[in-house]
Amino acid sequence: MSLNLLKTVRAKSAAVCMTITAALVAAPAAAETAWKPSGPVNVLMHTKPGGTADIFIRTLAQSLEPLIGQTIVVVNAPGAGGATQMARVAHAKPDGLTLGINTMSHFTSMLTNLKGTFSVDDFSWVASTQEDPIIYFARADSDIKTIGDLVAKAKANSGKINIGGFGPVGSMQHLGTSMLEKAAGIKLNWVGFDSTPDIMTALLGGHVDVGVSNLGPTAPFFESKRIIGLGVLGETRLEGLPDLPTFGEQGFEVDTSWVQVRGLFGPKDMPLELQQQIADAFHEAMKAKSYQDYARNTGVVDSWMGPKEYNAFVRKVSDMAVKQLQAAGLLQ
Amino acid sequence: MIEHLLLGFSAFGDPMVWISLVFGALAGYLIGAIPGLGPSLGVALLIPFTYGLDPVVSIVGLVALYAAAEYGGAITAILINSPGTSAAVATAWDGYPLTQQGRAGEALMVSIVASGIGIFVSALFLLFTAVPLSELALSFGPGEYFALAFVGLSLVVGLAEGLVVKGAVAMGIGLALATVGLDTQTGVPRFAVSTELFEGLPLVPVLLGLYALSEVLFMVEEGAAAKVKSPPVGGFMSWNWKGFWPLNGVIMRSSVLGYVIGIIPGAGASIASFIAYAMAKRTSKNPELFGKGSVEGVAASEAANNAAVSGAMAPLLALGIPGSPTTAVMIGALMIQGIQPGPLLFSRNPEIPYTIFASLWIGVPIMVFIGLAGARGWAQVANIPRPAIAAIVSAICLVGAYSSEGTIFPVYVMTAFGILGYLLRKVQIPLAPVILALVLGEMMETNFRRALITSQGSLDIFYTSPVTVVLSLTAILAFVLPAIGFVRRRRRPEAAAGEVASR
Repeated sequence: MSLNLLKTVRAKSAAVCMTITAALVAAPAAAETAWKPSGPVNVLMHTKPGGTADIFIRTLAQSLEPLIGQTIVVVNAPGAGGATQMARVAHAKPDGLTLGINTMSHFTSMLTNLKGTFSVDDFSWVASTQEDPIIYFARADSDIKTIGDLVAKAKANSGKINIGGFGPVGSMQHLGTSMLEKAAGIKLNWVGFDSTPDIMTALLGGHVDVGVSNLGPTAPFFESKRIIGLGVLGETRLEGLPDLPTFGEQGFEVDTSWVQVRGLFGPKDMPLELQQQIADAFHEAMKAKSYQDYARNTGVVDSWMGPKEYNAFVRKVSDMAVKQLQAAGLLQ
Repeated sequence: MIEHLLLGFSAFGDPMVWISLVFGALAGYLIGAIPGLGPSLGVALLIPFTYGLDPVVSIVGLVALYAAAEYGGAITAILINSPGTSAAVATAWDGYPLTQQGRAGEALMVSIVASGIGIFVSALFLLFTAVPLSELALSFGPGEYFALAFVGLSLVVGLAEGLVVKGAVAMGIGLALATVGLDTQTGVPRFAVSTELFEGLPLVPVLLGLYALSEVLFMVEEGAAAKVKSPPVGGFMSWNWKGFWPLNGVIMRSSVLGYVIGIIPGAGASIASFIAYAMAKRTSKNPELFGKGSVEGVAASEAANNAAVSGAMAPLLALGIPGSPTTAVMIGALMIQGIQPGPLLFSRNPEIPYTIFASLWIGVPIMVFIGLAGARGWAQVANIPRPAIAAIVSAICLVGAYSSEGTIFPVYVMTAFGILGYLLRKVQIPLAPVILALVLGEMMETNFRRALITSQGSLDIFYTSPVTVVLSLTAILAFVLPAIGFVRRRRRPEAAAGEVASR
């Protein structure tokens, strides 16, 4: 896999989020006022109110509204595995007044159950805003304490180690897990759940051996020492959990660009200049204290890709997902 | 604990907390009473207003909204047979017949008082048992969830009103409908002819169609003549408080049941109200009134679904695991305030859980007052001429279905299920088992599959856990015993004929 471009993009975004000053230089002050929408901006969500992505946009709206002088209207259009939201974004005018929030599942679903309905080319990929690498963890009293332990145990009991994560076979977290399986030459038993709290319940109750999640929902369980981390599927360690080593540090080389991404997309044929203005406005709003407080509390990593970089990222990730799905036997 | 509780009550020294409580309760009533909008949506809509507020002020408002919205669904369930949420479905089974008999005021009074007691009692339990019971709920694995759903499904027997075969047909329809959507383990679409069906049949439009729109069709058929005059609802002094006394037992039992079921993450208010309703019917002196206008049925359903609010709070506060979709939204609201629900909450931010306990108690009289004061107005709804009611209900169905997802597709679903509901009622197939099986079918199937995955395909998982065994046996007995009775009656056809004739 040729991932040099991805790596540079990620390295750049990592460098930017390390120092806010660098970010300020990257986004000139003039950008602050460049996007002047002519009316309220509708931001469509693919989830019901209250999800991680939903809270993200509702929090960001606080600092974004004064910047652009318009209201942000969050429209929840759940259902159809994301297709309800994507259809409304696809059919909107490319004037920047209708945007959508996307996650990694948008890319995987366009390859599986929404194949033929939508493709990456049907949209403009405007900006990335958050990255949320997935982590692997076990109960505090488990004999699995590192990725190495997990691999050793999985080799001794092939296919008998239960791993609980979000979504069915072919979901973002399952594909990440299958990357580990491939790198370590093991077979794990994937148990799909519909929500992260369900995963935590099953793990704490001893019904699955290992859990997968983003950091946010697991943080209190780490703090109260009920779970222990095994590893981060990411390039670097997480700011919110500095003691947890990455897969790579533990000797398992998996593709670290497989992180949960939350970004902004719109209908296709949006002028590139407009996309850049919107991206700058969103990134500017992310620097506000209210947003930064929320982001640090929930353990997400800021991401600063503009339209050109994000577009390249989306295509790379989509290609990667194709390979992952093929390797997992879910795609011909 | 006492000093923490005093800390909780002392929060009410701040007038902002009172304003938040009253505003939350009023908004909750309104949101709960509009079909298509529910407590989780209400809480989500309130979150943006809480950004600038103190965490204590905002949590009081959110809890008040949650509790009031869980009650608000009863208003439309009783008056126009449109349960806004699945938790109010059981309320409609008896509430609407009472309205048809001109007893809307009484039904509303019973529902609001039962809800109030449900919250009050369950909040007391919450104070003392939140932490230990939440730990116990963790022992529920996929096998236990399957067994719990199985017990829920066995209530079909009670809901079929003696029509064993028709009840079974209704259950079959519900279970078949529950298979529509993406397979939860493999992601393969099943019977999903369009992408809109990927997440299964949307519940709110199905409820609106089966219950409310089918009712409109019957109203159209019967014409304007069959109008019921509801007696005017008097002031507080004229309430028949004495008639309320015999309901205490059923309300207490349902409150405890609702609280315990609410604690189990994923079970929730609708299953709590279904099970409490069936329990009440089994223990009632007048089981024949259930489904035809029993105040006990209304009391059981409403006490249980409101007690489940406190129940859902227990794992949220003690473990950081939400027990219901609404508490999942609430976690988000707390996190925006920088408060992380979970094992450390009681030691780090004791003001939050104890203010919630205090606000549940202080909120009850306020909620009941608003409810009773409003009942007078709401009961007038039953006096609106039939053609107007039919028009209003159809409008609510259309708007409710549309607003549930903000698209036109749920409106088609609602219309289709309205016609289906009408046809089923025409051939006397009961609707309640359809809904029950639709709600529980997915839970049963998902957990059955998940259980088999975690056990690597071994069926041992269904009889090695004592909880699973007890629950499964209960369910099997509930199915088998009436079936034996049915077969026996078949052998004595003359007796069965006599029984049917008397019905």
